[in-house]
Amino acid sequence: MTIPTPQAATPVEVEEAKPQSISGPSAVKGGDGRSPGKMAWLRFKRDRTGVISAYVVIFFFVIAICAPLIAKLYGKDPYTTYGSNDPSLLDDFGSPILPNGGISGDFWFGIEPGLGRDVFTFLLYGIRNSLLIAAATTLLVTVIGIAVGITAGYLGGKTDYLVGRVIDILLAFPSTLFFIAFWPVMLSILVAPDENTPVWLTVVSLISVMTAFGWASIARLLRGEVLALREREFVEAARVTGASPARIIFKELLPNLWTPILIQATLALPAYVTAEAGLAFLGVGLTDPTPDWGVMIQRGSDVYQSDITFMLFPGVSMVIFVIAFNLLGDSVRDALDPKTKR
Amino acid sequence: MSLSRRNFVIATSVAAGGSMVLSACSSGSSTGKKGGGAGHGGADKYTGSVVVGTKADSTGPAAEIPGAKKGGTIRGIAPDDFSHLDPQRIYFSWNSAIGDLFIRALTGYKIAADGSMKLVGDLATDAGTMSDGGKTWTFTLKDGLKWEDGKELTIDDVRHGIERGFASFTTEGAGYAQTALTGTADFRSKYKGPFGGKHLDSVVTDAKAKTITFKLAEARPDLNFTLAMTSYGAVPVKGDTKDKYDKDPVSCGPYRIKAHSIDKSMTLVRNPHWDPNTDSIRNAYPDSFVYEFGPEALQSADRLIADDGDDKYAVMAYSGVPAERIQKVLTDPELKKRTFNGLLTGIYYYAINTKRITDLKVRQAIIHAWPLEQIRKIYGGPSAGDYATSILSPDIVGYAKDDVYGKLKKPQGDPEAAKKLLKEAGKEGQKVVYAFPTSNTYNKTKVVIENALKAAGFTPVMKPLDSTSYYDQVQQIDNQFDVMWFGWSPDWPTGYTLMQPLFDGSTIANGANNISQLNVDWVNEAIKKNVVIADPNEAGKAWAALDKRIMTEEAPIIPETFQRRFYLYGEKVGGATFHPLWSSAVFYKLFVKA
Repeated sequence: MTIPTPQAATPVEVEEAKPQSISGPSAVKGGDGRSPGKMAWLRFKRDRTGVISAYVVIFFFVIAICAPLIAKLYGKDPYTTYGSNDPSLLDDFGSPILPNGGISGDFWFGIEPGLGRDVFTFLLYGIRNSLLIAAATTLLVTVIGIAVGITAGYLGGKTDYLVGRVIDILLAFPSTLFFIAFWPVMLSILVAPDENTPVWLTVVSLISVMTAFGWASIARLLRGEVLALREREFVEAARVTGASPARIIFKELLPNLWTPILIQATLALPAYVTAEAGLAFLGVGLTDPTPDWGVMIQRGSDVYQSDITFMLFPGVSMVIFVIAFNLLGDSVRDALDPKTKR
Repeated sequence: MSLSRRNFVIATSVAAGGSMVLSACSSGSSTGKKGGGAGHGGADKYTGSVVVGTKADSTGPAAEIPGAKKGGTIRGIAPDDFSHLDPQRIYFSWNSAIGDLFIRALTGYKIAADGSMKLVGDLATDAGTMSDGGKTWTFTLKDGLKWEDGKELTIDDVRHGIERGFASFTTEGAGYAQTALTGTADFRSKYKGPFGGKHLDSVVTDAKAKTITFKLAEARPDLNFTLAMTSYGAVPVKGDTKDKYDKDPVSCGPYRIKAHSIDKSMTLVRNPHWDPNTDSIRNAYPDSFVYEFGPEALQSADRLIADDGDDKYAVMAYSGVPAERIQKVLTDPELKKRTFNGLLTGIYYYAINTKRITDLKVRQAIIHAWPLEQIRKIYGGPSAGDYATSILSPDIVGYAKDDVYGKLKKPQGDPEAAKKLLKEAGKEGQKVVYAFPTSNTYNKTKVVIENALKAAGFTPVMKPLDSTSYYDQVQQIDNQFDVMWFGWSPDWPTGYTLMQPLFDGSTIANGANNISQLNVDWVNEAIKKNVVIADPNEAGKAWAALDKRIMTEEAPIIPETFQRRFYLYGEKVGGATFHPLWSSAVFYKLFVKA
């Protein structure tokens, strides 16, 4: 769950010429009147890998959102143990009888060894659940990170010091171990011994724990940016003209910070997908029978010697998704921040 | 623009992905073809039932194994170290398995090549003489028995081994003989062990005639089986270091411990003072045994599949081939050749908490609903064992196959029958809390159990519990679980060692094994009555009848499987057989192939 701080932390050149202030003279200078946003969009469109990655990412989100619809059209669900109910699907050892993990017209991606659930719908719902958790976490992390980072950087002094130490502690904390150790304890407190653990509780606690340990890196990055920005002339000018702190933060500072925020967020989301899968792999977080990417990969690692097909679909799809999203993050950075040379 | 690093990453990752897909297809189809083939190729014969051998059977040396020769080193691989080496502190079968190499008791089990067992005299000349309706037992010591330092093993040493079972530091061991001698389960209050200089009045020795006589407070027609337990092995009076004896026990068997590095390894070498002519049970072909502790089942299976270097001389000593590799091992004839297997004497079952589910009809409905077939498929199908339908396992003397709930006809569960019973009881939608230890396997079986209970009209609640503290949690009498995963293995093959610990109401306590908390007068009385039946066959019939009656009238457990385990060994290992009681390899029969 420890998210490596992406290289987006490299100092981003501040586009001193802010949209509002350059509109007049620079339009004449540039000749065709393009705003920085438009220029970034043009640069992004020229980046082929970026565009392809974007399509791949959009595809994943679409199938995740449409998973129930697809499952309905396809006629299977991820909870029924088809193999257990129909003895002609699994052999005596619990492996699929048909080659390639039981791929057939009925089961497009084969069936799961042992329980005999449908791999296709299980994977769709697994992607759906994982993306939901990762997207929610990323959103929360970004919002909290922005709020704390900008506040600390703008106010400075004792607030900055205090927030800085909290961030230090959080970044140094072994969050995965913490979660593994405290998960069962927390459950035993929150759930009565003769009740099932509700799935929403698992999801909420996963999101909150990943958020609690995740906002620190983005907050620290933004604090540094703000520290540099608040001494700039346009901020001082705003202050001199009597702008309120809220106005300075939202109108002067924030527009200059969208670049690092966007980059951080696009790189954080795939990291949370893998973190969530990792936790499920380690046996905390979502467990059977709730479909999950990590749960699938965990099962795949047990049976890969006799049925590698089962490892293949969740594994390859996760590799593709994470690579595509990371490349997308790279391209977004390149588009927004063309001066960073690598 | 030049080829950036990023483009390069894409290119290689696509290539790697492609080759993965190809290899996956080929491997998938090769294993897929085998699917559906019937049979597990494992043992079908239960070998745990024991006949009592004669004096000739008890006279050494043990029969030679064809093709075996002396010399070499056998390597045992196991996940855990031996937790105890002091005979009186050994109850766990893995410790007993190693105990066979250096501990000897009055009686022991002689295992034939086909796995069938005979109870014979080990230190004693025969399997003992019973008189007075099972209240008096007499054993005569063999000649020529020596400890590893060359001193003679006397009848006093045998008595010392029995009396040490009363000492304050030997609580881990079995208590059957102590209970029989004193007539109470709280035997430590009656006698504090031999270290105060006092001996038990009820154990009489005659040094000249080399006999030891047990005068029991309660009749025990199967005391000779009890005394075969490692817990009643002999310990030298001179040389007993009390609680330190656990670290460095004195050997009277064919091997002695040369080095022991806790949780890492243990080396045993020949004991020169062991005389094969005194021992009808043990062969001793290798010059030494080296045990390696740590590798889990999957790791050791992979090492033995690879069969490299020293692993050619290795054997999976205790953990069997796991479900993930069983198909590979059984479908590859080269690997299959290097396996041995056997059926465990114990039974795996699900205990129903009779304190919480008080309605018999609901308990019966749970049994009807239980999806045995789906569960076994997750374990690895028929290779993993046979369905259990009774409390007694097929090894037990007197076992009768009965199937009160028709589980063999409908191993996938019978939701209709369950629904009907629930309706009769008026408990439709009854909540059932199922507790299980978290592990890959039980997280899977949970899914099919949950589905089956739902289909039968229950409201299932799944409670995964931490596997290390699992037993402590379910053995609390005020726990909040309705159905609990459990297993039990008999200490010797009579019904008493199953029925008494699991269903005697007087044993109910925190930490005790009667987790169904069944406390029914007629059951308690029947257990008391059956234990004193002198004729083993009559006793066996009585236990089987009690088994059927408990299952019909009380339904306190859901029998699951009598499990089968496969073990791998290296190509240079010979004589690998399965020990029906310890469910490990029979170490003293192994040899190194030329």
